[in-house]
Amino acid sequence: MNQPVSSLNLWLALLPATGLIILLVGGSALFVLVQSLGYAPGYGINEFPTLKYYSQLINNPGFGYSVWLTSYYAVVATIIATILGIILALILRKQFKIKPVTQHLYKYPLMVPYLVGIALVVLLFSQSGIVARVALALGFIERPAEFPALLFSHQGWGIIMVYVWKQMPFMTLSIYTLLIHRDPGLDDAAQLLGASAWQRFWKVTLPPLIPGTLSAALICFAFNFGAFEVPFILGGGFPETLPVQSWRLFNDPDYQHRLQGMAIIMFTFVALLVIFWAQYRLVSTRPYLRQSKTQ
Amino acid sequence: MSQSRVANKYRLTSWQWLFLATIGFLWLAPVLPLAIQSLAFQWHWPDLLPEVWWLTAREQTRLPIGWDYIFSPYSHLYEAFVNTLIIGVSVTLITLIICLPAARVLAKYPFKLKPQIELLFSTPLLLPEIALALALLIPFIRLDISGGYTGVIIAQLVPTIPYMIRILTSAYSGVRIQYEEQARLLGASSLQVFRYIQLPLLIPGIIAGCLFTFLVSSNIFLITFLIGQGSIETLPTLLFAKISGGAMDATAAGLTLVVMLPGVLFLLAVERHIQEIN
Amino acid sequence: MKVANILLVVSAVMLTGTVVADSDVESFRTKFLNDDLRWSQIEDRARQEAEVHFYYWGGDDNLNIWIDSIVVQEMNKLGVKLIPHRITATKDVVDLALAEKNAGKGLGQGSVDVVWVNGENFYTLAQQNLLFGSFAERLPESIHYEWSDSDSRSQLNKFDFGFETLGREMPWSGEQYVCAANRELLPVSDTPNTYKELESWLQENPGLFTYVKPPHYLGNTFVQQVLYEMNPYGTGALPFQRNLASFTAKEFSELVRPGFDYLNRIAPNLANVSQGSPRYPENDAALMNLFRNSEIAIECQFGLFHVANLKRQGKMPDSAEEIILPSGNMIKNKNYLALIGNAPNPAASLVFINYMSSFDAQKDKIDLVGYPVGLDSWTLNKSQQDELDAVTPPHYGLTQADLDSNIAPDTNASLVNLIEHIWIKTVEQKGTQNIESLVETYMSQQ
Repeated sequence: MNQPVSSLNLWLALLPATGLIILLVGGSALFVLVQSLGYAPGYGINEFPTLKYYSQLINNPGFGYSVWLTSYYAVVATIIATILGIILALILRKQFKIKPVTQHLYKYPLMVPYLVGIALVVLLFSQSGIVARVALALGFIERPAEFPALLFSHQGWGIIMVYVWKQMPFMTLSIYTLLIHRDPGLDDAAQLLGASAWQRFWKVTLPPLIPGTLSAALICFAFNFGAFEVPFILGGGFPETLPVQSWRLFNDPDYQHRLQGMAIIMFTFVALLVIFWAQYRLVSTRPYLRQSKTQ
Repeated sequence: MSQSRVANKYRLTSWQWLFLATIGFLWLAPVLPLAIQSLAFQWHWPDLLPEVWWLTAREQTRLPIGWDYIFSPYSHLYEAFVNTLIIGVSVTLITLIICLPAARVLAKYPFKLKPQIELLFSTPLLLPEIALALALLIPFIRLDISGGYTGVIIAQLVPTIPYMIRILTSAYSGVRIQYEEQARLLGASSLQVFRYIQLPLLIPGIIAGCLFTFLVSSNIFLITFLIGQGSIETLPTLLFAKISGGAMDATAAGLTLVVMLPGVLFLLAVERHIQEIN
Repeated sequence: MKVANILLVVSAVMLTGTVVADSDVESFRTKFLNDDLRWSQIEDRARQEAEVHFYYWGGDDNLNIWIDSIVVQEMNKLGVKLIPHRITATKDVVDLALAEKNAGKGLGQGSVDVVWVNGENFYTLAQQNLLFGSFAERLPESIHYEWSDSDSRSQLNKFDFGFETLGREMPWSGEQYVCAANRELLPVSDTPNTYKELESWLQENPGLFTYVKPPHYLGNTFVQQVLYEMNPYGTGALPFQRNLASFTAKEFSELVRPGFDYLNRIAPNLANVSQGSPRYPENDAALMNLFRNSEIAIECQFGLFHVANLKRQGKMPDSAEEIILPSGNMIKNKNYLALIGNAPNPAASLVFINYMSSFDAQKDKIDLVGYPVGLDSWTLNKSQQDELDAVTPPHYGLTQADLDSNIAPDTNASLVNLIEHIWIKTVEQKGTQNIESLVETYMSQQ
């Protein structure tokens, strides 16, 4: 005998959590929007509505390069993390002696702050770091300047390394969860019919994974795009990534610059909406994806 | 013949062993130089091992250095640890209370806007901390809750709710509705149903959710840094102060090891629970 | 009826209580500034106030230890609890005090008592009326400082970045901008002693030098010294002592143009030359990391004894030595402790600053932390001078006399932010605006 749950009770149960998210996220987005359009009486500025701060922002030297850098680091790191994640997830599908240890160990970057990754990268990969000293001992280089500038340069390999270190476990976990919920029978059948491992991977294993993997990759991309402490510490100086630039502008004594900082934040909220929409399209048509996503 | 071919598929190829070894090395190896750095007094280019070790130097310095400094009151490690604990526990309790009813609804009852609500709870994962923190900062200053626990705790609710909700929803899915119905048939009140049927089945999930939420909260840096306005020191903000210039020294290395500890402990303790929920 | 009466009385007491507290602290200030109070009365009041909030740069572990242990102890003996607040940028505290003042918090109601400050931050405090008043010469320990106008050595105590302190801040440490070289990378014979020589040396040894970037105060100081040396009229620091208002945009831009051209010329040869754009470290910790790991051969920062201090902490290469760079233009100044206008504990603050200015505190500071004393050593007696000499850190490669004969004064406080702004726009961002229009825009916003 099923007791129907009243609609009111249902929404009441959801209210605290949903209300909080809508209030804090939506409310703050609204606040930022209004400021970026010129309404900031606290700063003595009331030119609402105006697009002036957006155009000032876009005309700032290095803005275009900022957008490029932020996207570049985010995309490259996501791609690398995804590829490595697929490889590791496939490995975990098999049985091997040290599997339990591996399953514990690979996740540890997810459990510690980004700052730990930054500390490790600084220790190991700066031009006078441990790896460089090993290279010196092996005779590959003679001075620190000969070691590639992985950190503190716009090429940003140090930044990408920290992103990958953090996100490869996340991608592995997501893809692995998708893998184990699939029927392995299809794979066995293909093998019995004579398909090679390579063919099995591309034609049987990979295709159904794509939507879920894409969904997880979008989360990674969003994390990377909006990251602050990694490019702040390991970045190559001006022009910096958008989040770092927004922080610098926000701290500028010139109020006009602060509103430009708000414009960058608004830009981030909009990018978030786009990614949100893309996720929605991916997930809403595939109900099985909803249950299987874990961090 | 076909049996062994299928069986082979469950063993790793040599390329895969190589990959595993590389990842294992890259994950674990850095801890060694980190530990050495924390025990080094003077370790510059081009030395592969410290020129002067901390153990020798500490006898000759008048003020505490290295690990002595880290565990002295001067490093503020104790305050940072206590603050991380206070904020973490508060955030965990609040998210638990507001997510329990919501998770129950999401797990049990199909309703019209369910996919949209689920996606709503994923939104904070896509929201950069810088956007949230800068957006909330001025309203919080106006409300006089910035620069203290209140503002930081409220702001930290946003990135933690998605995790708590997800884990609790999984936990609730495991509680069969038939048990509840039978209990009601036998005359149990809603409260009794909750206390004697749902709660015991939920407890592993609740524990997992709490531990995970606490972990997420204890790793948050930017929100605490910006909304705390420098008045709230936590383990991550302490570490940031040390390495923000992109430089490493003994104290920074030691602090990094300390900050890694909660995560590693969590991993060892709760891994089993996460597997169950999966 | 009775309840109503009680409520009335209680609320009256509370109301008058707050009003009395406000006027009480204001009357303290008036009496103090009129010299109507004996020091013992101030000490009594300090014990009543019981606390003092000290905001200071927390980036030096040894300084933190000294303050948290010895200074706190000594203040406890005086009946005052010292509450130190470590900050990363003094500007943040100035902003905080200003925000509180704008929110209506007056004397006795703010949260900041004493700040470690100098230069344009002190200038901002003064312009915004955020200072308690003239207290420096009224402190008992002020006998160790030269205040007499007839002695030119009083300048450093009475002028901060060319701006009159009027006793609103008390000198705490003396400093000089000193450079060090790694002798393994840079032999004595090759050492550049002027910025012109630095430029030619960089052309043959690219990538072995860089400087902390503005807006950090170390970056600002480096840029100022460059402007002194590259002064097209050959008058060094002299024109930079003038207030901003005394310049026209054209005049100022002519004065600074050669210096900024120089900075743009050397940029391609600074550290990270291999990857295209120069690397300017964010702060001194980052700069020192490059130096001690032999990535750069020369580093410069404020710190008369920083080579000795860092060697003691294992953070300097063994072969590091001090050098004269640039000749005749090494900025020497003092930094101060300022008493904020809406301080919650003014009497306790005075007692605290008095302690920090005492011979014992100054001696402990140079002994344990290695910061030069702020007091004037010629006011000490022989045994005190000997005690001080015994704990003064050594110099490496130079003598104190060498350093004393190459000094220059600070830039006028009103010029600091403008120079910083020009550097950011023309050197960091490589903008296309010319300097004159930048100066004009900046001046019109003052």
